[in-house]
Amino acid sequence: MDVTSKTSEVPEEPAAAAVTDRVWKAGRLEPMPIRPLPPAPPSLHILGPTVFLVALGVGMGESYMWPRLVLVFGPDIRWLFMIGVTLQAFVLLEMARYAMATGESIFFGAARVFKPMMWFFYVAAILIYIWPGHLSAGAAAFEEISGIPWQVSACVALVFVGVLFSMLSVIYNFLEKLLGFLIGFLVVGTSIIAAIVGSWDDLAQTISGMFAFGFLPDKALSDVWFPILVGSIAFAGPSGMQQMWYTLQLRDSGAGMGAHIPKIRGLRSADEAESMPSRGYMFDTENPEEMKKWKGWRKWVTFDALLLFWGITMLVTISFTVLAMSAARENPNVANLIEGGDREAALKAMSDAFASAGSPILGTLFFAFIALIGLNATLGLFDSFSRGQADMTYYFIPGAKRFSMSRLYAGFLWGVITFGILILLFGPADGPAGILDILAFLSTFAMGAYCIVLLLVNNKLLPKPIRPGPIRNVIIGFGAVFYLGMLFYSLVRFGVVVG
Amino acid sequence: MALSMDGLKARQLAEFSVPAASVGVAAGLVAGGLAAFVGRPIGEALLTGLGLAIPLALFGAGYAVLLALGKIPAGVFAPAAVYWVIGFPLSLLVHSVVTEWTVAGTPGLPAEPLKFLAFRALLSMGFAIGFIWMHEQLGRHWWPRILEHNPYSLRVVKQYVELADSLAERKAATDRHRTKKRRERTA
Repeated sequence: MDVTSKTSEVPEEPAAAAVTDRVWKAGRLEPMPIRPLPPAPPSLHILGPTVFLVALGVGMGESYMWPRLVLVFGPDIRWLFMIGVTLQAFVLLEMARYAMATGESIFFGAARVFKPMMWFFYVAAILIYIWPGHLSAGAAAFEEISGIPWQVSACVALVFVGVLFSMLSVIYNFLEKLLGFLIGFLVVGTSIIAAIVGSWDDLAQTISGMFAFGFLPDKALSDVWFPILVGSIAFAGPSGMQQMWYTLQLRDSGAGMGAHIPKIRGLRSADEAESMPSRGYMFDTENPEEMKKWKGWRKWVTFDALLLFWGITMLVTISFTVLAMSAARENPNVANLIEGGDREAALKAMSDAFASAGSPILGTLFFAFIALIGLNATLGLFDSFSRGQADMTYYFIPGAKRFSMSRLYAGFLWGVITFGILILLFGPADGPAGILDILAFLSTFAMGAYCIVLLLVNNKLLPKPIRPGPIRNVIIGFGAVFYLGMLFYSLVRFGVVVG
Repeated sequence: MALSMDGLKARQLAEFSVPAASVGVAAGLVAGGLAAFVGRPIGEALLTGLGLAIPLALFGAGYAVLLALGKIPAGVFAPAAVYWVIGFPLSLLVHSVVTEWTVAGTPGLPAEPLKFLAFRALLSMGFAIGFIWMHEQLGRHWWPRILEHNPYSLRVVKQYVELADSLAERKAATDRHRTKKRRERTA
């Protein structure tokens, strides 16, 4: 469901605008022309671009890493998850502030403040996300159900995604509908499985653990577990650069000033794509009518952040934690395997435990959901990565504007797919062992770095009336200290990056 | 005559409820289908699936009827959450009784039925989000098809009329804007 197509309209530009062309100067790059802000959608809506963030965010962190920590340290450790996801909800709101006010991505914002910051994200994204390792968990789960070797299904999935995205007219609309449906199904399904195998006590402990602020057993501070804990907090909700890509999906959905920016099309219809403006736009923040519309947009995105993002992420992780607890109760071997850290063996043991405990279908259903989570993440990741790289390439690599944004998107998409297939067939899926630590470091570092970027762009580049308040700034500042602090503490104290 | 009017209304309500009932049926049938897939006897798989599909589909249809009659607003989370806090635990209670029946041969309540219901009532919130989400996804495709002969469908689609209007307006505005720009370029 396209947010704008359903809810808002692009106002006709007043004739005078083209002549007088008032602008807003933001940073060192081209100023933003003032254009009307589209009316905000009514609060009544179910889907929005947040569905991408949910699809990317509800991954291994929720379905495996946190259930594992709960089995090792007990449910009280979940207060850290609560902090991680709540922090991410605020990051979402602040990312949306810049994207909706300007129609620009956060990468463009970073370049307005200091271009090398943008280049850091450009290189980091390639290094972190070019490896097809994220496909393995979902494809391995699919192998458990179907018997098809996981490399085969992963390669087929890669080609399928490439062909599908190339054939589509407007990629965003289709993906939002598809992911929305798959996540709806996931949410319904996990609620049902948890309801069949879980118990009142599991749920009560899981929920009360979310409020056990300050609980940190000595074991959690050991060199074995602290890096894993840091990694798990970074993986609570969207990790790495996923929040930054959300600004591109917001733009393509037409939220706020994104309505003035054309959409990215599939390769087949790339010729129909309109030319991209060379920068975003700003609305008239002195005009009370425009400010009223802006408040409407903020309300709209807050609904997304709270109910869709925070609510669904919490729900899925609570359900999976309840599942892990009941599996461990059913079969003590599960707890050992999960604690041991062999993900595949642990997931298989959990599935077996459900199959023997309740109805035999549950084991298969469990794997089906792990495969579904993998599929969601893959669809979201390929789209987002290509979107982000195409955006930065188009605007900041000299000569790239010869190609349309849609063609650059297709180029990155097929590039990452081809590389992915080659690696799946001949190389290490997660990346060469020697650089794994560097990738894990970059992923967490990017999160601390984007908090700093957010503080800079929202406080330096936006007009005063729409800048974040002091509380928001403190929370995002806390995010920067939280991610970077834990990362460097782990590095200095234990010599290990993150687990 | 009154009877046939009631019959017509019931048929229209049933037709309107197809997306809602489908969510329940899908949930149950996926469960049953997978049971057959992993090699359980067909009869057992079917019963397990139906034991969940039928109550969820019935409760789903009930929700749709309330929506059609205007008792609850479309697409809003709170009423769905309240509805499923009752419907979801009861559906799982039926499922539990049916499963017990297929395994032990006689139907029986789960141990500590109140705790059983309370736990599922808490989880119902999640189900409600997924339900309302999928319901709208399916309804968007189904209701416009039956709009002409189904007043309930018309009523609900009208609730989205403001949204549909802005869709048309936005499209028109964008097209106008683009045509104007194209003309300017070619001129």
